[in-house]
Amino acid sequence: MTTASVGIVLVSHSAELAEGAANLAGQVSGGTVTIVAAGGTDDGDLGTSAAKVSRAIRQADQGAGVVVLPDLGSAVLTVRAVLEDYGSANGVLLADAPFVEGAVAATVIAAAGGDLKAVAAAAEEARHARKL
Amino acid sequence: MPASFEQEITLTGDLHARPAGALAVAAGRFASVINVTVGGRTVDAKSVLSVMGLGATSGQDVTVSAAGPDAQEAVAALVAILGEATKVGG
Repeated sequence: MTTASVGIVLVSHSAELAEGAANLAGQVSGGTVTIVAAGGTDDGDLGTSAAKVSRAIRQADQGAGVVVLPDLGSAVLTVRAVLEDYGSANGVLLADAPFVEGAVAATVIAAAGGDLKAVAAAAEEARHARKL
Repeated sequence: MPASFEQEITLTGDLHARPAGALAVAAGRFASVINVTVGGRTVDAKSVLSVMGLGATSGQDVTVSAAGPDAQEAVAALVAILGEATKVGG
């Protein structure tokens, strides 16, 4: 695989949750995909930070685009605000997906060379996966 | 009619998250349709969550089947991964 992988940004209200999910998805997918955690506020409290999300998107973009996964509804507001400034749509997709399952599924497809749409679709399809 | 192949392997360890991930990443690089069957349940090998959901454990027989232009290579690659990856767990 010579082309860059799609990058993943995990936006959580909790810095630890975002870091932990990034670590898990990286381990499961073999460590070849750029996964950036954007959790907590700028002060380190529970919440989300537009500045952190913005930095994370730039850091995750290796040239093949970025899929952003928010943990809970209000993280979506922060991501949308950032995407408006970012020039939006171009190469960044916001996925409506369960956080942990979506992160793992998206990262595995990115590691396998999937394109931006395929990676976002994998995240969104994760809501249908049965654990039992 | 695309070529189709299948091969069975007995797991030497449980199919935990990391081996399931290695299997799905490898499967995703092939063009063929690839399935994994354990205990009568068949899932898409390219779906890591489905592979994890099989809950396959040491001693179980897993069948890897593939249909498509690179089916033979796909089956060989995935069987090799199952043989290696399930030794370490995780």
